[in-house]
Amino acid sequence: MTEKDYNESVLLYADNVYRFIVKNLRHTEDAEDIVQSAFEKLWIHKESVETAKAKSYLFTVAYHLLIDHTRKAKRISLQESFENDTQTIYQENKALKKVLHDALATLSETQRSLVLLKDYEGYSYEEIGEITKLTTDQVRVYLHRARLKLRNYLISPQQVL
Amino acid sequence: MQNISLHNYQDFLLRYIDEELDLRETEALLAFVALHPAIAEELESLQSTKLDIEVISCPNKAVLYKNIFPVILEPETIVYPYKQKLFKKEKEKAPVVLLKWWAVGAAAVFLFMMVRYGMLDQKAASTMSKNSISKNKVSTVPTLSVIKNNPTINNTTTNNAVANTGSMAATKVVTDIKNNTSNAMEYSTAQNIEHQSIPTVSTVTARETAQNMPSYNGDIIDVKPTIIAEITVPSTTINDEPTEYIETIDTEAASSNRSVMVGAFEIDKDKFRGLFRKVNAIIKNKENNKNEK
Repeated sequence: MTEKDYNESVLLYADNVYRFIVKNLRHTEDAEDIVQSAFEKLWIHKESVETAKAKSYLFTVAYHLLIDHTRKAKRISLQESFENDTQTIYQENKALKKVLHDALATLSETQRSLVLLKDYEGYSYEEIGEITKLTTDQVRVYLHRARLKLRNYLISPQQVL
Repeated sequence: MQNISLHNYQDFLLRYIDEELDLRETEALLAFVALHPAIAEELESLQSTKLDIEVISCPNKAVLYKNIFPVILEPETIVYPYKQKLFKKEKEKAPVVLLKWWAVGAAAVFLFMMVRYGMLDQKAASTMSKNSISKNKVSTVPTLSVIKNNPTINNTTTNNAVANTGSMAATKVVTDIKNNTSNAMEYSTAQNIEHQSIPTVSTVTARETAQNMPSYNGDIIDVKPTIIAEITVPSTTINDEPTEYIETIDTEAASSNRSVMVGAFEIDKDKFRGLFRKVNAIIKNKENNKNEK
């Protein structure tokens, strides 16, 4: 990968990686840090990364950074309210979307990541498995459980009322 | 292809939402859903769990680019106030000149020779002048007597380079002149006649006569004419008399120039030069041998 390819990867994939991270973390600053770390790692290893696999590499790095960040945040019992975050960049215009994103918050990190990778990035089970270091069957099972959980959340009586 | 039934339809629904079914499976599922309206509602509820694509921009994307937006700092002039204290002056060191031992020795010998030669040349010049003066003294003593006795012929006696004045012939001439002062022509004739024998005598017997001259009191009474009679004067030397005398003087001066006084020893310059050349030749040979090695 050349310098030009790297900069093109920034142009093409930075928003995607950021969206993936910010939807998981619900914290823009931490998401920016993770995205920056992911691209820094890509720059360092640009000689060994093929251009065609740059996106997958970025999501892999970002996912593991996300896991590390989440575990670290759990250890220090950092509780930040997504609703109180003043730097949230997106706003819910529709109630359904808001409920859906609330439902996402109820998922585990792995499930949420799988849903995000599947719905936002369109990765296949195999590609998601490569990114998350899971088998294809694991991806499929975890993802199906996440879907059912989201559906149950959406059709729950509180949400209906 | 696995058949779709009421036991496994949910897996097909979820895979359909994830877009993981192929064309045949998709057609089979849609046909199965069409047969079961309850399953169609379930499919719709599962489709609502699918996230719509949102466009979210990374806020600091420019930070991620490399070398596209180089940060150029404007030149800023900051003057360190204590710069004068930082200047250092190193002590001057004597330059180290590496010379070979033989070069140093040759230079020393050369300088010594130059100094020595210069001093000796001056000494030689001074000694030469002293010698000439002393010779003149020796030769002028009788001349002065002649002049004293006969001042009128001063020019003629001096012109004849009368170092030979100690000779008997000269004294005889003077005596004749003294006795014949009245007749100038006769004197001149006599002088011319006797003059021819003067240089001859002087060149051969000048030193002897000078040594044999016991005293000088202005009179030439003690002169013995018999000495002259003993000397044979070749006719060819008559005209060469002054030249021969000068040559004698030059020879002495040349010999003094050839010699060098080193302390109390007198060394011939030619030999010394030869020795110096030999030393130089030996040094050059050694140098050539080194270069060949």
